[in-house]
Amino acid sequence: MSRLLRPAAAIAAKDLRLFFRDRVGLLLAFLMPAALVLAFGFMMQKAFGGEDGGMARAELWVVDQDGSAASRAFVDDLRGLAMLEVRPAPDDAPLSLEGAEASLRKGRAHHVLVLPRGFGDALAAGELPELRMLRDPGRSLEDTLVTIGLSSAYMGATQGRAWPAMLGRLLEQSGASPEAVRSAVAAAEQTRRLMEAALGRNDGKDAETGRAPEGDGGDDGQDGGSGLDFTAFMRDMVPLEVEDRLPPERAANLSHIVAQSVSGLVVMMLMFGLVRCATTLLRERDSGTLDRLLAAASPRDAVLLGKFLFTAASGLLQLAVLFTFAELVFHVGMFRDPVTLLVLSLSLTAAVTAFGMLIATWARSLEQANGFATLLILVMSAVGGAWFPVQLFDMPLPAEVAMRLTLTHWAMTGYQGMLWNGLGWTSPTLLTSIGVLWAFAVGASLLARRLFHRRVLPA
Amino acid sequence: MTAPALLEVCDLSYAYGDHVAVDGMSFTLRRGEALGLLGPNGAGKTTTFSCLAGLRRPRSGELRLEGRTFLPFACDTDRAVLGLVPQEVSLYADLTARENLAFFGRIQGVAPEELDDRIAAALTLAGLEDRADHRIATFSGGMKRRLNLAVATLHQPPILLLDEPTVGVDPHSRHHLFAALERLRDGGASLLYSTHAMEDAQRLCDRIVVLDHGRVLAVGTHEELAAGVGEPGADLETVFLHLTGRSLRDS
Repeated sequence: MSRLLRPAAAIAAKDLRLFFRDRVGLLLAFLMPAALVLAFGFMMQKAFGGEDGGMARAELWVVDQDGSAASRAFVDDLRGLAMLEVRPAPDDAPLSLEGAEASLRKGRAHHVLVLPRGFGDALAAGELPELRMLRDPGRSLEDTLVTIGLSSAYMGATQGRAWPAMLGRLLEQSGASPEAVRSAVAAAEQTRRLMEAALGRNDGKDAETGRAPEGDGGDDGQDGGSGLDFTAFMRDMVPLEVEDRLPPERAANLSHIVAQSVSGLVVMMLMFGLVRCATTLLRERDSGTLDRLLAAASPRDAVLLGKFLFTAASGLLQLAVLFTFAELVFHVGMFRDPVTLLVLSLSLTAAVTAFGMLIATWARSLEQANGFATLLILVMSAVGGAWFPVQLFDMPLPAEVAMRLTLTHWAMTGYQGMLWNGLGWTSPTLLTSIGVLWAFAVGASLLARRLFHRRVLPA
Repeated sequence: MTAPALLEVCDLSYAYGDHVAVDGMSFTLRRGEALGLLGPNGAGKTTTFSCLAGLRRPRSGELRLEGRTFLPFACDTDRAVLGLVPQEVSLYADLTARENLAFFGRIQGVAPEELDDRIAAALTLAGLEDRADHRIATFSGGMKRRLNLAVATLHQPPILLLDEPTVGVDPHSRHHLFAALERLRDGGASLLYSTHAMEDAQRLCDRIVVLDHGRVLAVGTHEELAAGVGEPGADLETVFLHLTGRSLRDS
């Protein structure tokens, strides 16, 4: 055994020495992945929540043609919504319709809300003011955010005074006869007045904004005596009491998307890094040193084993550095269960190393190896969930099967289980992931050895 | 008195697909001699070396070492008697000379307690004592060639396979290389030296095997070869051209 291990260890030590002397290699192995983890982690945290994050924000430009106190108040309500970034800013010059059209054409704006003249009057009259939206049709994500934000602000602005009219519109759209619509609207209006009366509130609201005077409590509905808070009503329409239950094993400030992006990027970059290490076998061949190794008085499998040991050692080192970095920057609770982390990382490193050796022994040239590996890693990362949480999507069966065939999926399942669900390595979920990773490691290693003897060793 | 046979090559053949590169080649390397393999490009020298070094499995024929079957392709302990000096410089450019020697010494199974002495001897052989801790990337072509040779001697093999080891080196390095090879031969090593340079073969080799198209055309000392072609006293180039013809060899 030592006849095999001694030269293998010498090859691994030599490769590690060369690895640390190659500045470009070190950059690719450590700095670039760390920079990517940092950039994506912060971006995701900002966009989708976490300690300092919030909802993604969509930019909404507003053309206020009404210029009334009510329209200004409505715009202020829009500004108060977390999902909207309302433009122009309060201190900037108002936007004209022509300016908005030009911004849309140039792609500077994607949604422009036009508040037409008469907006305030309509509100004061208890009617539904007509709004107009100019938009770039290709921005569906922003469209969703703008629609949600606008609905919320609109309900708040009308303060229930418009809901009879809304009811009428609903009935019209549902095919009710004009007489039926008129009757229903009249009844609703009557009900609204009764409700206002019950709350001790008359219609003597601010004629301009349609809202209760300051201090009257009508806007926030907190005193329960004089206003109908439709925003809160919509939110509370479902009898739902929300209680937070944080798994004790999870870092308190960890958001799902950060756990996802950190582990996804680490897994993907590890694959790139280890393929690069494994393909030193091809570099040995190209530089002629492989012949010298194969002509030596050592078992030939020592060359393959040495490359495996080097690749695995550099993989564990990369994982240690990247996870430490992620912990320091994002406090993801990476080291809360060191045994599980070690078992998972060993399993992943073994599997990815075997994958790298398979590529290195299959390819006829470095270009072939790098090209094929890049393609495979990108596909596995996308399908396996390293880029985004694929479990959120309803995938067809073939895609589901493809996902389960990737190393990335099992690695992500393992790390997500540990970070997010606080699972230990003995849990069925993690044991499955670990088992699959080791099965791949053993299978791919055996295949790589076969390819090494058939394709790398001269015949 | 003729030295005993160390390595016997008997009816060796090797083909790349349909192309027969080595075709029933036979010759003997005697203990302590320098045997030249002289042939034009494409004569089969490098393929023969690959078979002897265990890098290719012969299609047919037999190799014998001191009378017993020799299987360098299949048996790694058989390869311990060989020191291969490849045609290309086969070293790690980002390692120092000492690090290269230490690595290949370990690969060749040199005992750890002997390694430092072997490295020192190899550095002396290569004339690189004062550049031991410099990276190979900073070396001249001649220095690399000298180290390329020294690496093959670390485990003190009785047979050195030298595949055109002086290609592209300056006269000083070439002189140093020949001096080193002569010291090794005088120390008891047997050298199998592949070249197409007549002056190299004439200077170093005790006997010469002339090859062409994968076959052995003649074997003997320079004088025996010249007499064999009916031109006693002729120089080696004349003998070589007589044996191999004067047509160009581009493959």
